[in-house]
Amino acid sequence: MSESTLLHASLLAYFCATLAAGIDLAQPGAVSRRVASWSMALGFLLQALAIAARSREIGTIAVSSFAEQAAFFTWLVAGIYLAVARRYRLAVLGAVVATIAFVGALMALVDHGGVRDLPPGLRSPWLPVHVGLAFLGNAAFAFACLVSGIYLWQERKLKSHSLDPRMRGLPSLETLDQANFRCLIWGFVLLTLSILSGVLWAELSFGRLWSWEPRTLWTTVIWSLYALLLHGRVTVGWGGRRAAALTIMGFLVLLVSFIGVNVLAPGRHAGSFG
Amino acid sequence: MSGGASPKVRRLRPGGNAAPELEFWVVGISHHTAPVALRERMVFSADTIAAAAQRLVAGSPTLVEAVVLSTCNRVEIFAMAHRDADVAGTVVEFLGREHSMPPALLEQHRYFHRGRAAVRHLFRVASSLDSMMVGEPQILGQLKEQYRCASEDGIAKDRLRPCFERAFRVAKRVRSETGIASKAVSVSSAAVDLAQRIFEDLGDKTAMIVGAGKMSELAARHLQGHGIASVIVTNRSFDRAVEMARGFGGTPVPFERFTQYLHLADVVIGSVAATGHILGSAQMAEVMKARRRRPMFLIDLGVPRNFDPAINDLENVYLYNIDDLSRVADEHRAEREHEAIRAEEIVEEETERFWRSLHARDLTPTIVALRGRLDEIRRAELDRGLSALRRLEPEERRALEAMTTAIVNKILHAPMSMLKALANEEDTETAAEVAEMVHRLFALEQPTGPGGAVNPRLLREDESGG
Repeated sequence: MSESTLLHASLLAYFCATLAAGIDLAQPGAVSRRVASWSMALGFLLQALAIAARSREIGTIAVSSFAEQAAFFTWLVAGIYLAVARRYRLAVLGAVVATIAFVGALMALVDHGGVRDLPPGLRSPWLPVHVGLAFLGNAAFAFACLVSGIYLWQERKLKSHSLDPRMRGLPSLETLDQANFRCLIWGFVLLTLSILSGVLWAELSFGRLWSWEPRTLWTTVIWSLYALLLHGRVTVGWGGRRAAALTIMGFLVLLVSFIGVNVLAPGRHAGSFG
Repeated sequence: MSGGASPKVRRLRPGGNAAPELEFWVVGISHHTAPVALRERMVFSADTIAAAAQRLVAGSPTLVEAVVLSTCNRVEIFAMAHRDADVAGTVVEFLGREHSMPPALLEQHRYFHRGRAAVRHLFRVASSLDSMMVGEPQILGQLKEQYRCASEDGIAKDRLRPCFERAFRVAKRVRSETGIASKAVSVSSAAVDLAQRIFEDLGDKTAMIVGAGKMSELAARHLQGHGIASVIVTNRSFDRAVEMARGFGGTPVPFERFTQYLHLADVVIGSVAATGHILGSAQMAEVMKARRRRPMFLIDLGVPRNFDPAINDLENVYLYNIDDLSRVADEHRAEREHEAIRAEEIVEEETERFWRSLHARDLTPTIVALRGRLDEIRRAELDRGLSALRRLEPEERRALEAMTTAIVNKILHAPMSMLKALANEEDTETAAEVAEMVHRLFALEQPTGPGGAVNPRLLREDESGG
């Protein structure tokens, strides 16, 4: 099957997942929930094949355009969802994650271009390692952001004494807080590893550890933000509501920088590799 | 099914001379029909119920299989019994005998259902829709236990098994698809419910009771019932605190210094008779700092208020007073009623589906018998013809064989489609009549055996109250 067929199929599966998850949100039922998770899993698998096909075509990890990056990113978010949703009873996130995955896959399909040549300097086995780690880290941050969203919603309901039937089946605040913390730790470790791999790569290939350009600058900012957040959490007790709010803010900064750097900025890290 | 030469067709109508037909029955007395004074005299104890059920089946020839369910709100007998027997009378007599009560009195309070209505009743009971506290989870366990006993004792067998197994599945479905069982309706249980919204596991949490009163004790009991790890008690009179702490296996602390221990507590229940707030917002802010802002759940049962309402504005603190809690309980009650409607729909749907599956199975013997009969005729005639045409080549024989089979199939096509369609129809009366007609027309023997336990004729709904 060609990459575009696979993408079409995964789009269809994500669409089903979005629909079923939406129905499940409005009127919880075992059938809609099962349909949602199975079609999401199917979409994830098909998109994985599509990404693999595309990567083979261009000879390295398929993140050669902004659209491809977005698709890769949303695919990872869907993967995290599939991995943890059951354990943490986060099926309620299904509708959001399926929509995101749908949009990501759609972008890849619309922007589906020919082979873009990699600049010679980037043709290296370091690229998939560096990029893969960075994206996985960002996906973990994205998931932490979604979990924090649920936390804040439920927290507000509890605080204002107005309970909501939709809270049934949601995990407790304590569990959501823990899930958030775990996602942050994972994201932070992966981001750190990604930076280290970038530094090593730069040192080995270009002879310098660090070059200041928009992406590295922003990454430094984001890394510091999350470091601060985790530090505050571990030492001062920035748990609960504050942690959730800061997680969301951190991710917004990440998102803005991701889009901004891709669209506007020059450099090695620019969207379509120059 | 061999077509036999017997022209005797078993009559399906009551009054026929065939073996009595079996039907699913339920006869009972419950909180819907009898006051507690009567119900409490009807309870079978756990060690007598199995023997009583065996006596019932052994002593009633019309009753083939039975499960006896006895709780403080109901005593019910689910049975496979003769359709036209006075099963209600038999059961009332049995209950009267067992509990030494006049059957005439029980007669006034008993109700019975049979057929489809009895199936629906069983499904509703299993799903806790017929309970006094709709959604309470115990009834399913009790029903399962009684069914297990009855099947071990050999008084619930192949005929009751499908009904009960389906009932347990329906109950599970109701539980998973509706919120009927998940909502706490009393103030104390609403408090526990909220605590579990905030904390995942109460097993490593501490509760503090400020003011040893009836309400706070009840709430603390509920929390302990849901596994809270430790309890701290404080009270104006320290002796009372010590006494209550002993009851909970907890720790008493002096009232004058209770705020010093407050940071240890995840859940705080206040019910002190005081004119002003015993805990202010500033104090509470200090407590939160001391516990590094880990969430805290405060329950203010005092009237007037024990805790300053401004405390609720502190980060990660959730303060509920008695009115908030009863509003939550009310909402839960309303929601539970709403969920009960959905649960009833599920039960209705499942009853219909189960009933149809019984029904569909029921026309199968007719279909099989009809096909068998025609094939038998075909074979007999073919054999006769072939013995006359002895010089036929094997291919010609095979051609004849195929041709006659095709003729039979062609003839059968329309009636078979109709029977199959009827098997899935709602109109059970017609199905039964058609089946009977087919049996008569083709002189088919009435199928008997384990599969024929429930007859299509029984698909008629029957209901009666008492």
